[in-house]
Amino acid sequence: MVEYIGEHLWAGQLGHALAIVSLVGGLLGTLGFFLGTARHSGEWIRVGRIGFRLHSVAVLGIVMTLFTMLFNHWFEYDYVWKHSNLQMPLKFIASCFWEGQEGSFLLWTFWHMVLGNVLMWRMSKGRGSAPDTSSWEAPVMTVISSVQVFLAVMLLGIYVGDVRVGSSPFLLIRELPENIGLPWTAMANYLSAIPQFADGRGLNPLLQNYWMVIHPPTLFLGFAATLIPFAFAIAGLWRGDKRGWIAPALPWTYFGIMILGTGILMGGAWAYEALSFGGFWAWDPVENASLVPWLTLVGAGHLMLVNKRKPTALFSLYLLTLITFILILYSTFLTRSGVLGDTSVHSFTGDGMLPGLLLFLLFYITLSVMMLLGRPSDRRFFVGVSLALLAIGVGFGIQVQAILLFGTICMGTLIGAYRKGFASTEPEESLWSREFWLFIGSLVLLLSAVQITFSTSVPVWNMLLEPLSPVFWWIADHTNSNFFRELADARLAPPGDAIAHYNKWQIPFAFIVTMLVAFGQYLRWKDSDLKQFRKQIGVSVILALALTILAVFLLQYTLPEWNLIALLFSALFAITANALYIPRVLKGRLTNAGPSVAHVGFALVLLGALISTSRQNEVSRNTRNMDLRFLNEGFDNSEDILLYRGDTLLMGDHFVHYREKHQEGVNLYYAMDYFAKEPRDYAMDDTVRVGDMLFASRDDHRAGPHFLKDQPDHWTPIEGFSRRALWYTPEWSSYRPGSKVFELAPFIQINPRFGNVAEPSTKHWLDRDLYTHVRYADMTLASDTADDTWMPDRLFDKQEGDTIITPSAMAIIDSVYLVNDSVTRAMLGDRYTVYAAHIRVRDLYLRDRWFEAKPLVIYADGQPVMGKAAELGPLRIRYSLATVEFPKGPIMGHSGPMPGTETQRTKIGLNVAEAEFLVLQAIVFPGINILWIGCVLMFLGTFMAVRQRIIAKPKQK
Amino acid sequence: MKRSHIIAIVIIAVSIGALVGSLYDSSTYADLDQALAHPGKEYHVVGTLDRSQEIVYEPSLNASLTTFSMRDLEGKTCKVHLNKAKPQDLERSERLVLIGKANEQGEFEARDMLMKCPSKYNEENRVEG
Repeated sequence: MVEYIGEHLWAGQLGHALAIVSLVGGLLGTLGFFLGTARHSGEWIRVGRIGFRLHSVAVLGIVMTLFTMLFNHWFEYDYVWKHSNLQMPLKFIASCFWEGQEGSFLLWTFWHMVLGNVLMWRMSKGRGSAPDTSSWEAPVMTVISSVQVFLAVMLLGIYVGDVRVGSSPFLLIRELPENIGLPWTAMANYLSAIPQFADGRGLNPLLQNYWMVIHPPTLFLGFAATLIPFAFAIAGLWRGDKRGWIAPALPWTYFGIMILGTGILMGGAWAYEALSFGGFWAWDPVENASLVPWLTLVGAGHLMLVNKRKPTALFSLYLLTLITFILILYSTFLTRSGVLGDTSVHSFTGDGMLPGLLLFLLFYITLSVMMLLGRPSDRRFFVGVSLALLAIGVGFGIQVQAILLFGTICMGTLIGAYRKGFASTEPEESLWSREFWLFIGSLVLLLSAVQITFSTSVPVWNMLLEPLSPVFWWIADHTNSNFFRELADARLAPPGDAIAHYNKWQIPFAFIVTMLVAFGQYLRWKDSDLKQFRKQIGVSVILALALTILAVFLLQYTLPEWNLIALLFSALFAITANALYIPRVLKGRLTNAGPSVAHVGFALVLLGALISTSRQNEVSRNTRNMDLRFLNEGFDNSEDILLYRGDTLLMGDHFVHYREKHQEGVNLYYAMDYFAKEPRDYAMDDTVRVGDMLFASRDDHRAGPHFLKDQPDHWTPIEGFSRRALWYTPEWSSYRPGSKVFELAPFIQINPRFGNVAEPSTKHWLDRDLYTHVRYADMTLASDTADDTWMPDRLFDKQEGDTIITPSAMAIIDSVYLVNDSVTRAMLGDRYTVYAAHIRVRDLYLRDRWFEAKPLVIYADGQPVMGKAAELGPLRIRYSLATVEFPKGPIMGHSGPMPGTETQRTKIGLNVAEAEFLVLQAIVFPGINILWIGCVLMFLGTFMAVRQRIIAKPKQK
Repeated sequence: MKRSHIIAIVIIAVSIGALVGSLYDSSTYADLDQALAHPGKEYHVVGTLDRSQEIVYEPSLNASLTTFSMRDLEGKTCKVHLNKAKPQDLERSERLVLIGKANEQGEFEARDMLMKCPSKYNEENRVEG
C-alpha cells in the first residue's frame, strides 16, 4: 500500500460512512413507520422516528462534510476539483456544492429531510412525543422515508459486482474508475508533484452569479414540497380515509405552489438578467420540466379546496396530486439521465444514472396506481403483473417493450380503479357552482401539463416508438403518409420553432385558465344566484374591456393577433375581477384576501409575459445600410448592430456610442454610452448629402422624420458639385444625439476552460427594459505590444496588379517598389532596405470615392523588421505590408518566355485590418415589470393564504 | 348525455390533439443526404465542425451570418450558412446540432444551432504522469 501524502482521507471516509448510515436510517424509518401503520403499533412508530432521525443526522453530516471539503479546497476529491477552485469567492462555495449531479441530489434529499422533520414535529405536537397511531404521521412518514431510501442509494456510489449503484461526491480522483491503474496513482506525493492538483477547475462561469446561489435551493425546496401532498394522498388511500388527509395536506400544497413558483420564476429572472438567451423563458426542456409539476400542483391544490367540503372529482384530485410528484421524478429522469441529449442546452449528461432513475420513477408510478385500486387482491395482482414485466423486461433485454406494455396496463388499471372506487353516484353539481369550474380549471391545467410533457418528451418518444416501427412502416406503406414514415424512422426532433409551437397550444389554455381565475371566486359553492353574480362581476368586465381596448390601441395589436388580444382581455379581466373582489365581496377584509392577491399576481405574470414577448423590439436591427450581398431571403438578417469604437449610431430611442473596453478581474467590459435622441435643426445654407445628391437648406428648420417630406419645403438640390464635396458632406438625418442619458456595459467573462461567456447588461425603466449583450467582439486589450483599436490582421498573399476585396473597400495593388531616395538611404544606412506598395482603394459604399495607401516595410539582412501601416480613417481600414518578394531574374538556359507570367510579378504579403468593432444585440422588452410585480404578488398572496390556513386551523377545532 | 361525459370526451379529444400536434410539429433528425434531398424542409442535422474549411464571419457585411462547413455523422460535408453571429466557441465545439433547411444550391441554411463544447465530463483523463 502506498502511504499518500497530503490527503484528507477522513473526510471521504466519514462521507461514505454517513451515506451508508443515511441509507440504513431511511430503511429503518420506512420499516418502522410502515409497520407502525400496518399494525397500529406505537412501538414501531417509535422505531420509525429513530430511523428517520438517524437518517436526518446522517444527511446533515454529509452536507457538512461536503461543505468542509469545498471550503478547504481538498482537491484530491473529484467533486471538489471539478466544481471549485482557489479564486472562487466564498459566496460561490454554495453554488459549487449544488452544481454537480451528486450535490443537487444531496440538496433535494436535504430538503426532504428538513420537511420530514417539520412534519413529524407538527403532527406529534400537543400530544407529547407519545406515538399516536391515529395520526397521519406514520403513513405519511413511511412514504417520505421510502423516497429518502431511493435518494440515499443514488448517493451511495458503491459497486455491486460490475454495476455502480449511485454516484458519490466523496470519491478521490485516484479512485475514479478511469484513473485506477494509471502510473501516477502509485505516487505517494502525487498531490504536490502533479501541478493539476494545486487548483480545481472551478465553477462554470455561466453559473458564477448570485442567482446560482439562491435559485437551486428554492427550486429544490419546491420540488421537495410536492412530496408531502403525495405522501398524504398515498396515506389517505392506505388508510381508506379518502378525504381526511386533505385538510392537513392543504397548507403544504400551497407552500409548494408558492416555493416552486418562486423557484421557476427565479430561473426566468436568472436567464433574463445574467444569461444571454435573449429573454426569460425559452421553453427549454429543463425549464418545462419544472413548470409542468407546478401546473398540476396548482390543479391539485384547487381540487383540495373543493374536496375538503364535499367529495367532488375526488379521483381527479388523487390523479393530480400523485402525478405532480411523479412528474418531478420524470423531470429528474429527463434532465439527469442524458435522455434529452441534443435537445437541451443545459441538461446534465448521463453518467450512467439512467437505470437507477428509471427504477425510482417506475416504483412510484406502480405505488400510485396500486394504491388507487381499492381492493387488496387487485393491488396484489397489479404489483404481481408489474414485477413480472420488470423481470421479463430486464431478463430478456426488452425493457422498452415492457415499459410500453406497463404504460398501457397502468392506463387500463386507472380506468378500472376509477369505475370501481370513485365513479360518483351523487347527482352532478350545478353548472353555476364554484366546485364545477374549479374542477374544469384543474383539468385544463392538467391538459396544459400533458401537452408540454408530450412535446418535451420527444427523445423519449423516439425510444418508445422504436419497437412499434414495423407497425408504422406498415401504415405508412398503405397510406403513403410521410407522417407515419417519420414516426417509423423514430428520429423525431423537438419542434423546430419551439416557442411558436408551445405558444400555439398554451395560449388557449392560458386564456381558459385566466377566465376561470377571473370569475371563479364570484361563484358560490353548490349554486350561485346569477343575478347577484352578474351584478358583482359586471364592473370588472367593463373595466377589463376598457383596459383591453386601451392596450390594443397603445401597443398596436392587430386583428391577426386575435389570440393575443383574447389573452390580453382574459388576463386583464382576471386582474380587475380579483382586485375588485377584495373591496366588493370581502369588504376590504384582508385576512381572506390571499387567493385574490395571488390570482392578481398570476394574471400579472401572464400579462407581463404576453406584452413583453409579443411586443419585444429588437432595436439593434441593422441600421447601417450595408450591402448584404450574401443574404438569403428567408433569413432575418437584421438582429444585430455593428458598432465601431467611437461610433455613435441611432438605435431605438437612443443614440448608442461604443466608448471603450476594459478588464476587471475575469470580465471584459464593453462600455457603451447612450444619448438622448433629439430632433436635428438645420440652418439656412446647410448642405447635406442624400444618396448621390447634395442639397442646400433654404431656411432654418427642424428636420422631419423623412427627407422626402422635408425636401419640397426646405431643400434645394445643388447642381454641379465636386466629387470631394460629395464625399465630405454629412448625410441628412432627422435626429442628433443629445445629452448622455445612461451607460451600459455588457461584458464577456473570460474562461479558457469552459469557453467565454457573454453576459447582458440591461437598463431598467418603469415601463420597459433595454436588454443588450455582445454577440461578437475582439477580446485583445491594449498593452505595450498589442494595439486594441484594430481588429486582428488578415494576411493576403497577392501580387502586383491584384485586387483585395474586403467588406468596405476594394484595394488594387498598383505597384511595389524599392524606396531608394537619398534621404531614406542617409537615414537608415546600407543595412536596411525599404519597400513600399502603392495601393489604390475604392470605397464600396460611396461611388467614385478613391483613396491611396502607401504602406512601407523595412528589411534588414533579408528579413522584414518593421513597417509603417497605412490607415484609411474614413474606410476604417488599415493596410500594412508584411513581406515583399521580387521576381528572380530571367533564368538562363531557357529559350523563349517562361510558361505563365505570374512568376514575373512582385509578390507581397499584405495585412488588412478593420477598425475595432463589436456586434451588439439590443432588445426592448416593454412591460416586463408587470411580470416581476406579478411574481411578488403571487408569492405574497399564496403566503397570506398559507398563513391563514395554518392560523385558522386551531380555531376550527 | 351527462355533462361529465361531455367533459371526458373533450379532454380525450384535446389530449389526442396535443399528442398528434406535438408529433406533427416536431422536426426530424436527418443526415445531410436526406436534408439535401429535400430542400426547403426543416431538419435537425447533427454533426461536427469541418475544420479543414475556413469559418467565414464578416460582421461588417452582415453581423448575423456565419458560414462554415459541417461534417455529419456519416462523414458527408456541406457548406452551412448560419443566420447568427459567430458563436464565441465555434472552433472549440465538438458537436453541432443545426436547425434549418437545405437550399437548391445544395447548401444548408441554419436558422439556429445548438453547440456542445468539450464539457467538464470529458476531461477526466487529463492527468498523465
